[in-house]
Amino acid sequence: MIDCPVRQPAAAPARNARPAGVLALMLTILLVAGCAATPRLPESTEQSLPRQLLLDEVPFHAQRDYQCGPASLAMVLNDGGIDVDVDTLIPQVFLPGRDGSVQPEMLATVRRHGRIPFLIDGRLDALLLELAAGHPTVVMQNLALPAWPMWHYAVAIGFDLDRDELTLHSGEEPRRIESFRRFDATWARSERWAFVALPPGELPVGARPHRAMEAISDFERTQGVEAALPAWEALAERFPSQGMVQFGLGNARHAGGDAEGAIAAFEQAVAAEPGLAVAWLNLGLARRGQGDTAGAREALERAAALPGHWQPHAHRALEDIEEASP
Amino acid sequence: MMKKLCRYLSPLLIAALMLGSLPAVAAPAPDGSDLITTQAALNAERGQADRERIQEILTRSDVQEQLVAQGVDPAEVEARVAALSDAEAAQMAEQLEQLPAGASAVGALFAVFVILLVTDILGLTNVFPFTR
Repeated sequence: MIDCPVRQPAAAPARNARPAGVLALMLTILLVAGCAATPRLPESTEQSLPRQLLLDEVPFHAQRDYQCGPASLAMVLNDGGIDVDVDTLIPQVFLPGRDGSVQPEMLATVRRHGRIPFLIDGRLDALLLELAAGHPTVVMQNLALPAWPMWHYAVAIGFDLDRDELTLHSGEEPRRIESFRRFDATWARSERWAFVALPPGELPVGARPHRAMEAISDFERTQGVEAALPAWEALAERFPSQGMVQFGLGNARHAGGDAEGAIAAFEQAVAAEPGLAVAWLNLGLARRGQGDTAGAREALERAAALPGHWQPHAHRALEDIEEASP
Repeated sequence: MMKKLCRYLSPLLIAALMLGSLPAVAAPAPDGSDLITTQAALNAERGQADRERIQEILTRSDVQEQLVAQGVDPAEVEARVAALSDAEAAQMAEQLEQLPAGASAVGALFAVFVILLVTDILGLTNVFPFTR
């Protein structure tokens, strides 16, 4: 649950706090919280990154009340060319009863606006690599401690490797500078949750085939196959040897009416992973749809020979073929 | 007034959602002309049975009801739940129950204020802007 903090001048500190008590508190905190260190970047990442970077063109929307969720979404969506304002997003993502927005709905709202939300790996170097690729990244932080959380969404837009600093559009403050150390301490408390919102056809730098496939498949479910097709094409190009990715591409092409292209993708899928029964099955069904009975039979026999969930389907499809063409 | 409205609206919403989603679950196995969808293949990879899919629809109506209870405009609820993936809907159903109600707990106690002030100065938290 996200209660975006509203920064207010702190109450006047009490005058009678005893030094001993403060000392004891500090010791307790050091024991409880441990010592946060500045996170180290892997050598290879550090070399591939520019020393300084700022995604200047990302617009800033100041949060009102507790609405850092809608504000953060408006920033990344506007940057991606989606014309939507905070007031439109509030009823779509904000939970009045909780004074905040929850993570699943942040992702779902991105989907509603025609962008695909990809969670990125929870590491500072993964975040910096996305920024370097021009992807402003929504991060979730707990600005306080686990026992008294102060959940917050912000948009990372830049960094400075020489000063170990991150730049964020955060709350009411555009281009806020946070040290890597302090940022990482607050980010770690959300299990380093972060996502990029990309148009179909663009992928995060650190895309992993299975997680990206889930993201695209979820997008396809709400936005339709046609909208998702460029994303499948891009993913299949990035991971040519992943059978399931090629399979997803084949389905998207087929649903879009491109039967020949679908067959080519299914063939690529089974070439990459000969044990992928569901790809053999769809290859057979797609070939049959094109009137290629011999080719269909060949593929369906391969599917029927593989034990598992799809074996009965393959047998049934084979029987249908035998009945239709004795 | 709002409560009353919700009481009447939420069963209707649940019914509408369930009717809307059932055909997808009850759809017959492909007869040879329909390909296996990517979602179905991914679900099968996860070892998910149809029974669990029905459970997911119940989860969605549950989330819908909870959102209405949280003060979300009933006109928005259906679109909000529809945009969730299955996994997100399940997460919502569980999380919304577990999370304690209430706004910012920070600042409620003087002790908490002092602790956060110290952790801010140590660079562990980021509550008070003047500590930077």
